[in-house]
Amino acid sequence: MEPGEWERTLRASLGEAVVAVEPFAGTRGRVRFRAGRALDVFRTVHGAGFTHLSMVGAIDWVDHREVFYVVWSDAAKEYAILSTDVPADQPRVASATSVWPSANWHEREAWEMVDIQFEGHPDLRHLLMPDGYAFHPLLRSFKLHEPEELEVKVRHV
Amino acid sequence: MSEMWINMGPQHPMTHGLWNLRVKIDGELIVDADPEMGYLHRGIEKISEDRHYNEVVTLMDRCCYVAGMSWEHLYILASEQALSIAPPERAEYIRTMADEFQRLGSHLMWYAAFVQDLGLMSPFLYGMRDRDLILDLFQSFTGARMTYEYMRVGGVRNDLPPGFTDRARKVMDWLVDRFREYDALCLGSDIFRKRCDGLGVLSQAQCVELGVTGPMLRSAGSSRDLRKDRPYSAYDRLEFDVARADAGDVTARYLVRMEEMRQSVRIVRQILDWLDTHPGPVMAERVPRWLGAPYAPIGREDYLLKRRYPKGVGFSAIEEPHGEAQAYVVNEGGEHPYRVKFRSPVFANLSAAKHYLVGYHVADIPPIMGSVDICVGECDR
Repeated sequence: MEPGEWERTLRASLGEAVVAVEPFAGTRGRVRFRAGRALDVFRTVHGAGFTHLSMVGAIDWVDHREVFYVVWSDAAKEYAILSTDVPADQPRVASATSVWPSANWHEREAWEMVDIQFEGHPDLRHLLMPDGYAFHPLLRSFKLHEPEELEVKVRHV
Repeated sequence: MSEMWINMGPQHPMTHGLWNLRVKIDGELIVDADPEMGYLHRGIEKISEDRHYNEVVTLMDRCCYVAGMSWEHLYILASEQALSIAPPERAEYIRTMADEFQRLGSHLMWYAAFVQDLGLMSPFLYGMRDRDLILDLFQSFTGARMTYEYMRVGGVRNDLPPGFTDRARKVMDWLVDRFREYDALCLGSDIFRKRCDGLGVLSQAQCVELGVTGPMLRSAGSSRDLRKDRPYSAYDRLEFDVARADAGDVTARYLVRMEEMRQSVRIVRQILDWLDTHPGPVMAERVPRWLGAPYAPIGREDYLLKRRYPKGVGFSAIEEPHGEAQAYVVNEGGEHPYRVKFRSPVFANLSAAKHYLVGYHVADIPPIMGSVDICVGECDR
């Protein structure tokens, strides 16, 4: 399916939630959507055969942040990328866990690394960093060469 | 009886790397599980933002210490897409061969560790012995046994040494005979079957829902293999079958990995024949020296040219020994990637731990977690 054709199909059911479908080498295309309608987009794309969510990642573009999702369709044997921009001061997007349960750990990682708030996530806590870690290391403002002061709390179970 | 949480790890014979499996038990029965990761987190994605494209390859070897070559390949494929560079055909075949060597090495390592978890000591030694032959092959064409730094943007660092293909053929012949012995040792052992059959079952639908890929998914009846479904490098020109099984339990995962090794030998033999008859360059033309030089000439004039490439994003996905690995490389026109994001198959397979552990007993944990084939290095990155 061509990106243009897919854009028309998605627009038919999602309307203005889809900003554009761009060509992206090696995939069916990159769907840019509005963060406010994320759940509708997830359900529609899942219903179109993309039943497997491979990863969720986030990029800090300084003036805004981008959250991207890589999904795979077993029927079409191809990937697609979903991407949305969220403002840096209010980085919120709905959690994909209700549609793709595999998003769970990926969203925990994106939250602790790039500070994206996934609304409706069942268990948004630290995964790779220790509990109580106060920084988001993959933000551009986190410099590698400056020492940091850090008090790590130890969790007793 | 009351329920309680126990920690298996971060130092535990079952964990194979630093991580902590917290399980909630009711007597001997597992009622909940929560893997605790991060003990091996080195911030590879962050460090990559501060490195030249080829310098990240060094980090990739450390990313997964049993499948370094596959991770190099993954990253290089995404970088080449982000920078719009294509490698020559011979380099593609050599990369594919290196990938399959790595699959053999990784699966042999898995076999050794897995049977040791079950208390079978001799197969452990056999597995490690045979993995050493693969490492010897790696050493002969990359110079290193585990941290290769062999693949470069635009090709591979050097061509194969003289006589390499004959040596590799001998190793392949040896391995095929050994696989028969492995099967006799394991599948013919009552202890093995009693500890593996019907444990850690995941259905195909569960695997898809939870993002589980690789041998675990194929052991549940799926035939999804990126080498077939979305061929990269030279896989579309090679003949092989996708290994699969139906039961979705620990034994099925064993069967799938064993069959994958046989298929890897088949692939490697085809590639060796091709390499013998197709000499040629192993590095793309007109790759700037700072990007693709055989030995990165740090401090040299051309290293400092700071040639800029048009902006682009690269995405690659490969069938790594543990499952489906992906890389997302954003190039903003500088010498360093702007953002690198990796998907580790072990990360996704471990996130489903609760679903294949609950309902089994504490004594079942080593065989089940062993069958997942965990490499914490690539999970934590």
